[in-house]
Amino acid sequence: MGLIRAVMNTVFWKERQKRKPLGPRWPLLLFHVDTGGCGGCGMELQAMTCLPYDMQGAGFGFVNSPRSADVLLVTGALTRTMAPVLQAAWEAMPNPKGIISIGNCALDGGVFSENYAVMGGLERRVSVDLAITGCPPSPQEILNGLCSLLGSAAQGGKKETPSGG
Amino acid sequence: MDVAALIYAGEQTSTPWRFRLDELAWRDMVDMLKGDDLPFVGLWCDGADVHALFLPDGHPLAATLALEGGRYPALSPARVAASLYERAIYDLFGAEAMWAVDVRPLLDHDVWSAAPPLCAAPGRGGQRKGLVAFQPSDAMAAAKGRVEERGPATGDLAPPFYTRLVLSGTLVANAETQTGYAHRGIAARSRHARVEDVCRLSSRVAAGSSVAHQVAFCQAVENACNAQVGAEVALLRVALLEMERLFQHLYILAGMARLAGAQLVASHCMALREKLVAEAAPITGSRLLMDVCIPGGLSVRDATQMGDLCGRVYELGQKAYPLLVLLWREYPGLSALLGRVGRIQADDLERVGLDGPVARAAGWDCDGRRIMPAYDGLWRYTSGRQNGTAEDRALLLLDEMEESLRMLDLASARIGLNAGGTVPLSMQDGEGTGLVEGPWGGVLYWVRLAHGRVAEAFCRKPETSALLVFEQALPNHAAEDAALLACSLGMNAAALDG
Repeated sequence: MGLIRAVMNTVFWKERQKRKPLGPRWPLLLFHVDTGGCGGCGMELQAMTCLPYDMQGAGFGFVNSPRSADVLLVTGALTRTMAPVLQAAWEAMPNPKGIISIGNCALDGGVFSENYAVMGGLERRVSVDLAITGCPPSPQEILNGLCSLLGSAAQGGKKETPSGG
Repeated sequence: MDVAALIYAGEQTSTPWRFRLDELAWRDMVDMLKGDDLPFVGLWCDGADVHALFLPDGHPLAATLALEGGRYPALSPARVAASLYERAIYDLFGAEAMWAVDVRPLLDHDVWSAAPPLCAAPGRGGQRKGLVAFQPSDAMAAAKGRVEERGPATGDLAPPFYTRLVLSGTLVANAETQTGYAHRGIAARSRHARVEDVCRLSSRVAAGSSVAHQVAFCQAVENACNAQVGAEVALLRVALLEMERLFQHLYILAGMARLAGAQLVASHCMALREKLVAEAAPITGSRLLMDVCIPGGLSVRDATQMGDLCGRVYELGQKAYPLLVLLWREYPGLSALLGRVGRIQADDLERVGLDGPVARAAGWDCDGRRIMPAYDGLWRYTSGRQNGTAEDRALLLLDEMEESLRMLDLASARIGLNAGGTVPLSMQDGEGTGLVEGPWGGVLYWVRLAHGRVAEAFCRKPETSALLVFEQALPNHAAEDAALLACSLGMNAAALDG
């Protein structure tokens, strides 16, 4: 199992605040891509958008276009069919941008290790800014992880470890 | 002679309900199926043979044909649902279905590292780089009009698939989907794997029907071993199945309400679901009820508390249920909107084999719980409006929730504190099937055990047929209703792609 990854670095956040001032662009906008899982992490993300979790109050919102997103939220093992889709979504996002993996599959493939159709996870392929592990992680664990991101930003890039499942 | 008699006349295999046919008999079977209503379950390949499974009177009956030069006569001219299985078999094994009604790729879009991956000597895959191209049918290619594309990454939270719509004005004139984006190779991973590992995989075929897949797989393994779990374990599994139905129906109702613009209703559904899930998770060990079954028994975190849990879920659900129904029925415009979406006839559903709540809401009386002995004295048929629209499906889901709550209440009084125990399995070589009524219809597993491992496994799930129904139902809908229609039919790309 991979390590729980560090949060976004200071350079990212300084840059972000310079180019994407917090005021008009708040909350942090997330674009979700399921790269080939069972859909469990997506269900927990959906639960996180509803009561009793206050996702919007915590400073996060989902968008339906990568062009208006700050962060790419990836769930599911990375299939060879979805890899170019993920790449295209990433390239469509404005700079600065980040990538977060949700669940074990998105990080290292989880139970869906590399085979003819699956490349495994994002680990060792791209630089992941935050990894929230679990199969699937609960909505609270995901929200805690996301909040650690903002917490670390507010504290000038202090690294935190989100709780995993 | 009917089709069943034709199959029984074949060569008996070591499995009492599977018979080997020669090619001429198989062709006769296909011809006769055109005029016979024998329920078709699925078609799969193991590299050397193809197997077609039917379910006359709830009992399995399979026909087997040896591949001849990597080919076999297609079943799809007689059973349209076989088309998707034939396409998957070609992608995975390279076995060609002669006279098939559709030969487009289903799972492999020339990007895999090996192709066909499950044949005896896989070649180098297509290794195509970049986004996969859409491969339309001839009818779709000829369609004229404004083209709208959805997916595979839409930003929503469902598994990925692609839909292309050709519009005439604001309405859909032609529609086709492309799948395979979430294909993880579950069939390949199940070959020669340990039973426990395949059980773990089965719980992750599709998150919303995890228990259904686990129980069906476990039953198949137990049947292959000629073993039966005790009444207590069977009842605990029923409790888990009904909890999953409750959670998943709430999730789908929330999705339908959200897509229909009724955010308040969606919020109520999700809030109740979250309350119930939070109650169950500490006892079952998983919020989405993954890894709660093992062949021969259960693996919930605290089985001794399951009776109490059923009671608490019943109380919480029963308290919130009347308000939820009232809100659903009286929310302005919700019924009118849903009533205009996705009207489907029972005959069409029977033709493609889509059972479950979609079929029941269209008037097709089918429910796998009727033939599951563990439901004796618990289950009763849920009947409501049967016009086949999205509204009927939503109201049926609400009715079924009430039934699930009632069954959990009954189960809570019967479940004891001994946690059910586990039956030791002989793991002898053999084949077995297991059928369970999941939240969206029948989930069936066929398993062949050899040398203490799973040699081959096949899974039939309702999402396969749901894709065909979705494509057929889309024309004459507004383009913006496509997601609502998919949601109301239980479309799930993760389950479909496997």
